[in-house]
Amino acid sequence: MAGTAQSTFSVRFDENNQEFSIAGSMRPQKAEDLDGCARLFEQSLQKVRGTLYVNVKRLVRLNNIAFRVLAGLMVRACGERHDLRISVITSSVIGWSTRKFGALPNVNPNINVAEYDSEFYPGQSFLEEGEFIPILRTQTKMTWRHEREILPRHGMMPGLAIADICCGIGDFAVLAFKEFKPARIVALDHSRSSLAYARRVAEEFGIQGIEYIYGDASEMLLEDDQFDFVTCRHSLQIFNKPERILRELFRICKPGGRVYVTNEKISHCLGEPLGQSIQWTYNELSSLFAHFGMDLEFGPKSPRALAKAGFEDIRVETFMVTNTDGDPLDFAAMIRSWEELFAGRMSQTRGDEADFVARFRQGFQDHISAALQLGGYAGWPVWVASGRKPA
Amino acid sequence: MSDVADPGDGKTFELLVKIDMGVDTFASNWAYCDRLSSYMARMVSHNRTDSLLYSNLFSSALNELLETVFRRHRPGGKFTCSISRRQRRDRIELTIPCDAGDKHFYQAAIERLSRPDAADHYRSALFADGPIDLDVGLFELALDYNAVLSVDASDNGSIRLVADLALEDSRV
Repeated sequence: MAGTAQSTFSVRFDENNQEFSIAGSMRPQKAEDLDGCARLFEQSLQKVRGTLYVNVKRLVRLNNIAFRVLAGLMVRACGERHDLRISVITSSVIGWSTRKFGALPNVNPNINVAEYDSEFYPGQSFLEEGEFIPILRTQTKMTWRHEREILPRHGMMPGLAIADICCGIGDFAVLAFKEFKPARIVALDHSRSSLAYARRVAEEFGIQGIEYIYGDASEMLLEDDQFDFVTCRHSLQIFNKPERILRELFRICKPGGRVYVTNEKISHCLGEPLGQSIQWTYNELSSLFAHFGMDLEFGPKSPRALAKAGFEDIRVETFMVTNTDGDPLDFAAMIRSWEELFAGRMSQTRGDEADFVARFRQGFQDHISAALQLGGYAGWPVWVASGRKPA
Repeated sequence: MSDVADPGDGKTFELLVKIDMGVDTFASNWAYCDRLSSYMARMVSHNRTDSLLYSNLFSSALNELLETVFRRHRPGGKFTCSISRRQRRDRIELTIPCDAGDKHFYQAAIERLSRPDAADHYRSALFADGPIDLDVGLFELALDYNAVLSVDASDNGSIRLVADLALEDSRV
C-alpha cells in the first residue's frame, strides 16, 4: 500500500519496508495544514509491527509548527503502543535535521534517530578514505588526455551550466573549468575528506567559481532541470544501485541537456608480457568488487542503463589509457596504488588466504612490469556514454 | 553596497542584500516567509564553503525569524530585512513595526535567552500541547544555530532585531 498527499512536501507510506517518508519543504502556518499527513501517519501505524522507519532524509525544510506536529505524532504513537519502536532516519546533507529530531529520544526512549551515511552503500567506504586520493589524482591526469578530446563529442562546450556528481577530489571539475569555461560549475560528493582536499587545491591554485557541495548522489538536494551538462565519472560502478544515481542525474539535467558517464570493465585491463597473470588478477578484482556490492564491469552496461533511465540520443565510445600515451611511470604508480588498496585492505577485509593474496598481487606487479619495460604494453579501458534528456 | 556599523567592536559588516516592504503586505501571505527566506539564503550563500548546505541552514534560521515577525508586529509601517557580512559571520537585521506589547515580547524573549533555563524552555515549547509559543523560533536560533540575538527600540514605533550567525563554523 502506498498513500500520498501533495503540496510543497510529499508524504508516503511503504508498507513493505514499514517506512513513512516525508520529503520537500514543510512550513505550514497552522498545525491543521498537516491534517492529511497526520491521517496518513495514523493509518500507516495500524499496519506496522515492531519498528516504523520515519524517513526524513529529503525533508529539506521544516518549521517549528510542523516539527511539533511530527514529534507529537511519534511521541503519542510510542506512548500508546509500547510494542512500537520508531527509527527516524535523517541525513547529514540537510544540516539541521539530526539535531532537531535528536531531541525525540529524550522524550520517548522507544524513538531513536540515525543519521544516514555511507553505510547505505556497501563497500564504498573503501574508496572514500583519504588514502585513495593519490589514485584518483593519477587516474584523472591520465584519463583527461583522452576526455578533453572526447567531451565535446558528447555536448560539452563553453558557457554551460555543469554539474560534476561524485566529483571525488574535484580535479576533473578544475580541468573542465579551465578548459571549457562553464557559466557555472557545481561539484558534489559524499566524502568530506575529498571535498576538503578539493577546496584546498582550488584555493591553492587561485581557482574561484567551482561550488563544491556535500551531498548524496542518490538523493541530491539540487533542484530539477538546472544543468546543461552533468558528468558522473567512475561512480555508477561503485554504487550497488546505479539506477538511483541515474534517476537523479536525469532529474537535475535540463531538458535537452546531456548526462555523461564513464565506467570501467576492469576484467578487460590487459598487458604483455605476462598477459595471463594480469588477466587472472583483473578477473579476480572484478569478483572482489562484486563481493562488496560494486560492479566494475559496468562500462559496457552503461548505454543500456542510460536508455532505461529515459535518455535518448545515446552516444558511446571507449578509450584505452596505456603506458604509451603519457609517462609510463604514471601508469605504474596508478597500478601500484590499486595493488596497495585492493590486494591490501579490501582483500584482507574479505578474508582472503595468503596464497590468494600473493597471486593477486603478482598480477598487479606484472602489469607494472609490462608498463615499464621496453616494448611492453599495459592498458586500462574506459567506457564513455552520454544521453540527452528529452526536451 | 554600504556598510553597517557593528556596535560591538567597531568593525563593519558589508551589506549584501536588503528588502523592504509594507509590513501589511508582508503579513498578507504566510508563504512570503518561506519565499523570502529561501531567496535571500540563496543570494548570500553562493560563495560560502558549501553553498547548498549553507543556504539550507540560513533559510531555516531566517524563516524562523520571519515567521516570528509575521505573528508579532503592529499593523502599518515599513518592514525591512537586510543581510550583511563580515568574514565568516552573517548578520540578519530586521526592522519591525511594533507597539508596546510587541516590543515587550521581543525584549523579554531576548532577555530569557541568557537565562540558565533557556534550553529547558525551548525543549518544553517544542513538545508542549496547545498553541505554539511565539518565541520558540528565537530560542531555536540562539540554542541550535548559536545565533547572537539583540534587540533595540527606535523612536518611530519600530524595533531593530539583529541575529548574528556563524554557520560556517558550526554544524547545526
